Amino acid sequence: MTYDERYMRVRTRRQLFRDCGVGVGKAALASLLVGNTMGATRKPHFPPKIDSVIYCFMAGAPSQFELFDYKPELQKWDAKPAPDAFMKGKRFAFMDTFAKETPKLLGSRRKFQQYGKSGLWFSDLFPNVGSIADDVTLVSGISTENFNHGPAKLFSNTGSVRPGRPSMGSWVTYGIGSESNDLPGYVVLQSGPRGPRGGAALWASGFLPTSYQGVPFRSAGDPILNLSTPGGVDGHEQKSTLDLIGDINKLELAETGDSEIQTRISQYEMAYRMQSSGPELIDFSKESAATMEMYGAEPGKASYANNCLLARRLVERGVRFVQLYHADWDHHQDLDEPLTSVCKEVDRPTMALIRDLKQRGLLERTLVIWGGEFGRTPMGEVREKGKIGRNHHIDAFTMMFAGGGLPPGRVVGGTDEFGFSPTGDRIDVHDVQATVLHLLGLDHEKLTYRFMGRDFRLTDVAGHVIKPLVS
Amino acid sequence: MHTLRIVCLGTGLVLAQAVAQTAGSDAGEAFYESTVRPILRTNCYACHTDKNVNSGLSVETRESLLKGGNRGVVVEPGAPEKSLLVKALRHEGDVKMPPGKKLDEAKIAAVEKWVKDGMAMPEKYRKAKRQGADHWAFQAPKRAPLPEVKNAAWARNAIDRWVLAKIEAANLTPSPEADKATLLRRVSLDLVGLPPTREELNAFLADTRPDAYERVVDQLLASPHYGERWARDWLDMARYADSDGYTIDAPRDMWPYRDWVIRAMNADMPFDRFVIEQFAGDLLPNATRDQIIATGFHRNTPSNYEGGIDFEQYRVEAVADRVNTTGAVFLGLTMGCARCHDHKYDPVSQREYYQMFAFLNNVDEIDKEADRKYFNRPFLDIGTEEQVAQYNAWEEKVKDLEDKINIYIGQFVGDAEKDEKLKAMRKEAGALRRKKPPVVRALVMRDRAEPRQSYIHLGGDFLRKGATVEPGVPAAGLTPPLTLTGEKPTRLDLAKWLVRPDHPLTARVTVNRLWQRYFGRGIVDTENDFGTQGDKPTHPELLDHLAMEFVQSGWSQKAMHRMIVTSATYRQASRYRKDAAAVDPDNRLLARQNRLRMDAEIIRDASLVASGLFTAKLGGPSVYPPIPAGANSVTQVKREWATATGEDRYRRGMYTYFQRSAGHPGLIVFDAPDGSVSCTRRVRSNTPLQALTLLNDEAHVEFAAALSARVRKEAATDAERLKLGYLYALAREPRAAEQERFLRFIQARRDAVAGGAAEEKVWNAAARALLNLDEFMTRE
Repeated sequence: MTYDERYMRVRTRRQLFRDCGVGVGKAALASLLVGNTMGATRKPHFPPKIDSVIYCFMAGAPSQFELFDYKPELQKWDAKPAPDAFMKGKRFAFMDTFAKETPKLLGSRRKFQQYGKSGLWFSDLFPNVGSIADDVTLVSGISTENFNHGPAKLFSNTGSVRPGRPSMGSWVTYGIGSESNDLPGYVVLQSGPRGPRGGAALWASGFLPTSYQGVPFRSAGDPILNLSTPGGVDGHEQKSTLDLIGDINKLELAETGDSEIQTRISQYEMAYRMQSSGPELIDFSKESAATMEMYGAEPGKASYANNCLLARRLVERGVRFVQLYHADWDHHQDLDEPLTSVCKEVDRPTMALIRDLKQRGLLERTLVIWGGEFGRTPMGEVREKGKIGRNHHIDAFTMMFAGGGLPPGRVVGGTDEFGFSPTGDRIDVHDVQATVLHLLGLDHEKLTYRFMGRDFRLTDVAGHVIKPLVS
Repeated sequence: MHTLRIVCLGTGLVLAQAVAQTAGSDAGEAFYESTVRPILRTNCYACHTDKNVNSGLSVETRESLLKGGNRGVVVEPGAPEKSLLVKALRHEGDVKMPPGKKLDEAKIAAVEKWVKDGMAMPEKYRKAKRQGADHWAFQAPKRAPLPEVKNAAWARNAIDRWVLAKIEAANLTPSPEADKATLLRRVSLDLVGLPPTREELNAFLADTRPDAYERVVDQLLASPHYGERWARDWLDMARYADSDGYTIDAPRDMWPYRDWVIRAMNADMPFDRFVIEQFAGDLLPNATRDQIIATGFHRNTPSNYEGGIDFEQYRVEAVADRVNTTGAVFLGLTMGCARCHDHKYDPVSQREYYQMFAFLNNVDEIDKEADRKYFNRPFLDIGTEEQVAQYNAWEEKVKDLEDKINIYIGQFVGDAEKDEKLKAMRKEAGALRRKKPPVVRALVMRDRAEPRQSYIHLGGDFLRKGATVEPGVPAAGLTPPLTLTGEKPTRLDLAKWLVRPDHPLTARVTVNRLWQRYFGRGIVDTENDFGTQGDKPTHPELLDHLAMEFVQSGWSQKAMHRMIVTSATYRQASRYRKDAAAVDPDNRLLARQNRLRMDAEIIRDASLVASGLFTAKLGGPSVYPPIPAGANSVTQVKREWATATGEDRYRRGMYTYFQRSAGHPGLIVFDAPDGSVSCTRRVRSNTPLQALTLLNDEAHVEFAAALSARVRKEAATDAERLKLGYLYALAREPRAAEQERFLRFIQARRDAVAGGAAEEKVWNAAARALLNLDEFMTRE
């Protein structure tokens, strides 16, 4: 299954509706494909294990040492200079803060305990996540390529440090479309004090058609840009105007015979359906008080908690790829109050999302991913007297997964006793991407798109499925 | 079986005899295979193969060996004593190979014996392996005699003869010419990116002269809006944007370059000049300000200002982008593949990639943290001398104040956000920033005094430097040689090389792209890949004809546009034809025109013209039309969007401020490129988000209201108003069925809406429908 620019040109002409990021439901599909001579739909390469992905992207890079990488040995070495072997030949961001003197190791100040039957370690910042320890899988010792936020985020999302490539959600909806007939197949939700560095490039479709681009849902106002009918136009006028547009377009279709007009007609119909499904989506009034309480969601609030609940509702409605961004985790200066407050925002909703998916029977067919663009150093960083933080570290960080049939309650991979380098097989971000595609029934080496004469992939020229996760 | 083949006619009789004498001896061949080739492969191939030619020498094939290298002939069959190859192996003389490691005597002796015996080599090693030597795109364009056609009367120019010959060969006939109104809207949208006005439509419909259409074409080509439409097209390839990209994505002054492109297009600047000024305007003798601004072309690369970065990494990225862009836009070669390794399919080695890189590697851009304050240098400051002095003083003040604030925050204990002194300082900084003197800092090319040494970057990694390289051109041997103006190759030499009249690629690639704009796809479908993996031309002789005409017309783009739009091929109706589709489902033969959804900016422009709100002002700083709330706050730094209220609210789409990390959603949704990489062809998607934009977006609601007011003011009856609406939106009158359906809608709305503003509401709805029709956003 190799698609390229040429195929895409034929595709738009021949209206393969299922290709669109906004997919077409099965019933609607039949009516849309009338007169279509090329009615192939996108099939995965092999039977998928999951239907949807919820990717909780922790922008700014959380410190694994304060959350789930319990390193007693590092605590013993606290405040001692980092061994030369750590520093030799390594490059860090903000080298100057490390260059002045040899940085000192920093043992975590958090209290850790083991949770559940699995005995996974979590710190006192993550008590709620700890309570679902037996449902999560930690992958430790992941490496990435660039130690700056913008490029590293691009790398996590698009497999390249440079803007211009399609993001994972775009590749997925391009590969297998979406089951939702009235919502976009790839939705982006944001919370935190600012947008993620890198902006729209993180969910862009690159050289793929913009129909595969992530659609940002807003927490205030219309969930989708221009979703609500303009002021002064009532529902009846909107409906009758759309009927008129559809009828005139049908006359034009008869006149010219161009099947692209049939696509246009269908897309206007879908836009109309989205106008009612969008508000219904963000209306939490039918959620039980217990559910709202579990997430800590409050109607109308721009929060990670609301976004987690929204993510569940999106997946329930057949949306393929939901990505949550929560800023900001970039704790160079202080691992105390700022980290505590962001964990408070995130700990409970993350637990609630996984628990809720599980109790609704959705977790088996949904993959939840939780993690940042890289990790943080076992050495402390002092930028301000009396406070201590951690610098960016790209050689060994940890991500959390849940659902999708992954082995629960396990740690895959690992790092040395200081958490500086991975032990065992190398796992990098391309491997994570290959694994996500694999779970969706896509072979990362076969999901390609020809652009400027080259077959591009999400995983560039690298990536291996992380075997212990999928077998 | 030993078939004698004379491998290279050019090398003459002596060689032919040598081949005849020795190339086919069984024992000799076996000796080469078993003994000599392993020696060469192990010790020489790293630098001297047909695909990786160092010092001009390859030892891989007999043809290459006999051709010699940069030092001339290296080996003469039968005469090892005269052979540089043997001398170099023996480390006699100044060339010592392999460098630093003399081979065992036995190995050298084996090579020597092989040379002495006449250099026998099996058939498969005889011919040089230069990839692509017989590939069509590397052959010089040829002018073929026009083909005979049955319906010669249909053909208006040479284009039509080539197209018709293929149509007839498929037993088809061309489509009839589109009706006059359709034709006028089509050619207006194509040449100036705007629909015709009612006056233009009336004039054209009334003009019965046989050359009425050609006259309109000439008028359109002379319109200043022609420059805008085709500049925007070029800006896609130039990856133009108004901000830096990456994380910080701050505004930059790129619009002087954008305006230069508009002026160059309007002046029909010859394409060779157009390319030379953009690559190396600054290196021309007595370079003018305009020529320096033109070099903004390769400064449109994104630049990173994030804290903690290695500036060298992003500078290298930018140079690599310049190489890739040059390959795609001018050469139709996928250079990017060769950044990490030799191209697998095309004749571009990794070395050649970095030779091209070396041309563009010397711009005085910053490469270290200490120079952070010179970010985005080099600039051309545009303004009076006094303004520039004021600007520099202002900039110093702003930086001082910012430093002060940062130091203050750094030393602060407690909640800094509540501190009065900090608030005051921030207020002062805000006020100071607003007082920016009116100096424009255009990003331009300017070389460093000390040239940078360029290297092969192993695996494409900027930290892993391999061998040094000097500037040079790709696909050597298949493309014309580089001519030097001075002692060392410069950007100017590269530019001149690109537009040499005998370059087999540049003119073909350029005319093919123009063709693509008019028919939806090029004669070569893979418009940025003319290499061996790309598509072959559907009409090769036509492509060559156009390329040669282009060069011979003095590289006039307007002449090319004129030739294409006046052809009978272009003028055909676009109506779908079952008979043609049966044999040619993708309409590659062009037995009809193609309907094309208009570009993002043109949909906006057509709405502005239809509504009468259009501001015709050319050029200047980018503008801020309405944007949906929150659409530009997705980045790290929230940027202010001061929505224009005056005439700038109604400027053409191409003038909308374009932020890379958050492009205007009204443009992005219709596939406008985001300026991160060069875009040689826009995808045309068809999505529900487009429908939501045209139906509900504030800007489009405003257009509909203006169109409504216009038709209500200019006509009294429903039928008259509808006719006007159709003329403004679609440049034609409604057909009976359309009129009946619209009038039914209008009556129903009138029944539903009561009160004083009823007519306004009813017609706003009708106008909104008109501006949402598929036909409205389509070039028929």
